Amino acid sequence: MSEPTRTPSKLPRKPRKKGADDEPAALGSNPFDAAVGPDPFVQGLSDLGLSTPLEPPAAFFEGIDDDFTAEPSAWRSAPPLAEVESSEPISGLEAFVPKDVMRRVNALSYLAEGEATYDRYGFSPEVTRRAFPYLWALHRYYFRVQSEGHEHIPSRGPAVMCSNHAGLLPFDAAMIVADTVMNTDPPRLPRSIVDIWAGSLPWVNVLYARGGQIIGTRENCADLLDDGQLMLVFPEGVAGVRKTIADRYQLRPFRVGFIEHALKARAPIVPIAVIGSENQAPVLYNFKGLAKLLGLPAVPITPTFPLLGPLGLLPYPVSYKLVYGEPMALHERFDDPDSVDPDTTRALSLEVQQVVQELIDRNR
Amino acid sequence: MRRNILVTHADAPIGRRLIKALYYDDRVDRILAVGAGPPPNAFDRFLASPDQRVAYARVDLARHRSMYDLFHSTRLDSFEIDSVIHVPPHGPREDGPPQLAGLAQRTAEARLLLHHCLEDSAIRRLVVLGSAFVYRLVPGNSNRFTEQSDLDLSADVPAETRAWIDCDMLFHGALHDDRLAVTLLRSATVVASGGFVFMNPAFDDQTGRCKRPIGFDPMCTLISDKDVVRALSLAAQANVTGIFNIAGRETVPLSRLAEWTSRGELALPGPIFAGVSRMLHLARGQRARSSLGGVQQRYGFTLDTSRALRELSFRPVYRIGRSRDGDGRLRLETARA
Repeated sequence: MSEPTRTPSKLPRKPRKKGADDEPAALGSNPFDAAVGPDPFVQGLSDLGLSTPLEPPAAFFEGIDDDFTAEPSAWRSAPPLAEVESSEPISGLEAFVPKDVMRRVNALSYLAEGEATYDRYGFSPEVTRRAFPYLWALHRYYFRVQSEGHEHIPSRGPAVMCSNHAGLLPFDAAMIVADTVMNTDPPRLPRSIVDIWAGSLPWVNVLYARGGQIIGTRENCADLLDDGQLMLVFPEGVAGVRKTIADRYQLRPFRVGFIEHALKARAPIVPIAVIGSENQAPVLYNFKGLAKLLGLPAVPITPTFPLLGPLGLLPYPVSYKLVYGEPMALHERFDDPDSVDPDTTRALSLEVQQVVQELIDRNR
Repeated sequence: MRRNILVTHADAPIGRRLIKALYYDDRVDRILAVGAGPPPNAFDRFLASPDQRVAYARVDLARHRSMYDLFHSTRLDSFEIDSVIHVPPHGPREDGPPQLAGLAQRTAEARLLLHHCLEDSAIRRLVVLGSAFVYRLVPGNSNRFTEQSDLDLSADVPAETRAWIDCDMLFHGALHDDRLAVTLLRSATVVASGGFVFMNPAFDDQTGRCKRPIGFDPMCTLISDKDVVRALSLAAQANVTGIFNIAGRETVPLSRLAEWTSRGELALPGPIFAGVSRMLHLARGQRARSSLGGVQQRYGFTLDTSRALRELSFRPVYRIGRSRDGDGRLRLETARA
């Protein structure tokens, strides 16, 4: 088949006239109205004279915030507390929360931007502000949290906070988050990594997202650390929360994913020991087969569950102690942290596990 | 090099804005706009311009005969079209009968367009606007997709999403053609000033109401229609091919997007959603266009746009928010940062 031939162009080539109407479009007018003048953004595109391959001149980005793409040299952080204003309480309980605490929560709004006031994972400073008084009340009066070692939490840049996990419901994570917000300067919000199963739970998935907690996919973890944020992980996983009272404070084998992320992001690992969470919901027995059948993490028997129904899963008012250990800069041991072999990664995970175990044993 | 571009669905909102942008682009010589309906009023001054750089043709892109006539017309030859920008149908539409061998209209158009672009040796460049809802979602609000992420090839994907995926795979298959340079842009939810939303399954029925299951509020990454047009323009001029994610800077919950666009929200328990979807399927005799209670109404995602930044030099410049219109009501607006 012969290729189609092109007839010579019959259209005269005349110089293009610019639109005579230079009035900018009025706010609220129909953008497709023929009466509207040339679109200023279109003129800007032509005026730049971009040629291929494209190398946009600096003017192309004029006026655009540079924090759109996270750069290692531009990790965001909360403003100094002195620059954060107090706000009027928006809920009854907030009136009882010290103003300094709520200023710390207000300072976290740097994580969201624009009128949308959400970050890309769904964190909402407004929802967090409404929920934090309850966290504070639990932290201060219900679990009576004592903590030490806050100076080991980096004030800036990425870090992986690594803790033991117990107690069926993740109140230990909630207390770590609240404690870190209240005791770091500038205030930092740990983004705890939650199991993918939690993302399928109605309301729970929204609550987690609005509070800054994130489903633990590899991409999310890498993005968090690239953005210079704190990542809170529980390397025992679900095995930690469902261990029985006979195995309390005996760590289950740590997974290795957090090691890989920490090495790749050159982030220090901050070990945390949580003492008390093992007693908040002592598991007498766990029906593993039934849990697997129902697609649940566990079907436990506790002194109050299933005796009291769902209320039996609520934690007992035990006393918490949080101990933050010295940060472990594992990435500094390797010239090329990206090329660490799996055996070494496993050994590093075991080392971190031992450090957390020592912290627990020393502080029980 | 000045290009002569054919734009499909130029009578649709994104297409109209694209024509306007291309008209004022010094790197574009001639523009052939095709659409299903009559030429929009906004094109009057372009069409009346003495330089005759813009022409409009009514073409049913899903019909074999009309597409054949278009690509073998003297008009196409006289305009010396060397680039095609395919803006697929977007926004709520009426259901219609399958256009070609039982395929959705969008898929039929994509097949015909790709076929003719490959056949016509004068056409060197094809830029296609696709949807980022083709990716496979997992539970949670934090799915982050790169261009290498998996597509959702499961059997229970809604019909509308299936059409997007089919089109995506069609153009994906042509990426490595020796002559035709294909660029596929997977776009986030497109919003336009005045509260218009395009290319989001939750707003995809004729009522325009937002549907979601109770207890879920997925995050929606947004992009302004003006930034979409910028990306298409950049892709048409660039010397790169491949797939690129494009998105703006804002990510909002679906409920907030419904509020910003003044659309009613329909939240139902998940099992009822699934039941209604099945009933519609039985009543219409075909799969419901958009699944009520599918994963796209439950789980959100964000897009990794670093490749577009690196290779297309595309960076969103339009912020999305609300402002008061002449009547004092808040409405969604997009404005240059």
